[in-house]
Amino acid sequence: MSIHIPILIIISPLLAAFLVLLTRKYKIVLATGSIIISIVFTLTLSSRVLSSDKITYHLGGWRGPLGISLVIDGLSFFFSLIALGLGLLVIIYSIPEKRYGRTYYFLLLVSLSSMIGVIYTADIFNMYVFYELLSLTMYLLIAYPKTGVTLRASFNYLIMGGVGLSFFLLGVGFLYAMTGTLDIFHIAEKLPAVFNSSTRMVLMSFVLIATGMGIKIAVFPLHGWLPDAHSMAPSPVSALLSGVTVKIGIYCLIRVVYTVFSAEMFFLINSHNILMVLGVVSLLFGASMALAQKDLKRLLAYSTINQLGIVLIGLGIGTELGLTGALFHILNHAIMKSTLFFCAGIMIAETGTREVQGLNGFGRQQPVITFAFIIASLGMIGIPPINGFTSKWLICLAAVEAGYVVLVAIILMASAIAAAYYFRVIQVLLSVPLKQDPMSGHEGEQMIHRGNLFRSWPIYILAAGCLLLGLLPTLGISLVKPAVSFLLSHAAP
Amino acid sequence: MNPVNISLLVFMIGLYGVMSKNNLIKKIMGLTIMNGSIVLFFISIGYRKGGLAPILEKGTTGGIPTTIFVDPLPQALMLTAIVIGISVTALALAMIVKIYSKYKTLDIQQLSKER
Repeated sequence: MSIHIPILIIISPLLAAFLVLLTRKYKIVLATGSIIISIVFTLTLSSRVLSSDKITYHLGGWRGPLGISLVIDGLSFFFSLIALGLGLLVIIYSIPEKRYGRTYYFLLLVSLSSMIGVIYTADIFNMYVFYELLSLTMYLLIAYPKTGVTLRASFNYLIMGGVGLSFFLLGVGFLYAMTGTLDIFHIAEKLPAVFNSSTRMVLMSFVLIATGMGIKIAVFPLHGWLPDAHSMAPSPVSALLSGVTVKIGIYCLIRVVYTVFSAEMFFLINSHNILMVLGVVSLLFGASMALAQKDLKRLLAYSTINQLGIVLIGLGIGTELGLTGALFHILNHAIMKSTLFFCAGIMIAETGTREVQGLNGFGRQQPVITFAFIIASLGMIGIPPINGFTSKWLICLAAVEAGYVVLVAIILMASAIAAAYYFRVIQVLLSVPLKQDPMSGHEGEQMIHRGNLFRSWPIYILAAGCLLLGLLPTLGISLVKPAVSFLLSHAAP
Repeated sequence: MNPVNISLLVFMIGLYGVMSKNNLIKKIMGLTIMNGSIVLFFISIGYRKGGLAPILEKGTTGGIPTTIFVDPLPQALMLTAIVIGISVTALALAMIVKIYSKYKTLDIQQLSKER
């Protein structure tokens, strides 16, 4: 039983997804139950993973380069915890909404299960298959309200995502042509041998895979789909997209850059410079575009591009400090951004408008939600007692250590711009309502009083998480540590 | 010109179609062409001239060198990739039907003007 835990983590949500389609009554119980089971299974592995052990599970007992194996190491454990934890909160948050039927939970569960699949699998083609499954469910979830705008946003994402995954698959084809295996760790062993004879093919496959994942992560020139998709989707789905799905792309990029193309190649093909430049460009672009937005969720979507830029810079620096900062920032961003999208969902439902200006006086109606929003947005800017500060600080330190002082200036400048756009929202939230209309305000309050519990608890939990990780950063860093040590041990054999 | 180069050329044609065409259906056609080119690419990786089907009978495995077999793995992979490609295309076409019934146009320029 205990040997089969890795596959059970993937199967439990997948099985529940198909059971959800059969029942009308128990859909929520099934959905939350299966995710909780997966989380428990994952936590039972924690002691082995955190002592930097690697758990390998061979599917069907086929070993080695022939079979597909699931590998849980520090890195995949870290990412799977983020995905499952946020997935659970997203399901809880969507309970009060009566519009979401069985298919919604079905898609949500399939997407979560395929995320875990992408994270755990050690077979690079299997990674592609799970990623395509994840993307398909995400297109459907974005288009779930079936309005014209969501359909258009989803279609845009489908075109871009389809092209991105085609690039990825072509890159995988090049890797297979060179090494004759699809297992990530076997490719990593065989690549250095073929590097000298076919440098161009190695470069080609790196560029193809990085471009494909770049589309999924929405780095600056390839970001076209993100603002529409993230802002038009239903709020829980936006939180899932921005908090987790984008991180899966980053996970694939890290796997490919640090595990498949190991140390010498990392510097031979200058991939660290590429990552850093992309990071800087999307950091500045995201920040300045967010400043110009009037729509609240669109502002948050551009802010995602901004924060991912910081993560890419940390990955590009590539030292131990830089990697710790980048991975910690991934965790922080997942928590903060889903808090913000959850809050934005309540704000939009209550005020009935997506404009920032329409939020006048919301702070008086719902002080606690506003407080959570303020905490998360301060974290996004990087104000000390909150979690975003620590990870930005680590990345800045790493940049100074590695001799890129310019990067620090750029990150600080982007943080100042972030302060400008978040303070604008906070100011509107706290201001006195323009028109006093007691009747409509009263109605609105009663309307969402039902099920308010399910909507607000995920927000409280996440906001508490922001404060906790801000006050005790060692907690998060100890979670990140095994992942970093694993990456570095592979990067410098 | 070997099949690998041809498949890359076809890939570029598909990419051109996705990027430059305004009609949604043509974009999907471009995506399908890209998918097809990847299938061609993988199959040509595994191809050996005059190769046999990789079926080993019991007892006779010893004498035959493995180099004369066609690599079966890319073929198996491509069956999966074709299925995935079809499901993406189906989803995209279903979306196009919905979009057309809402906006009465499939031109991306006109669609982006609508709010």
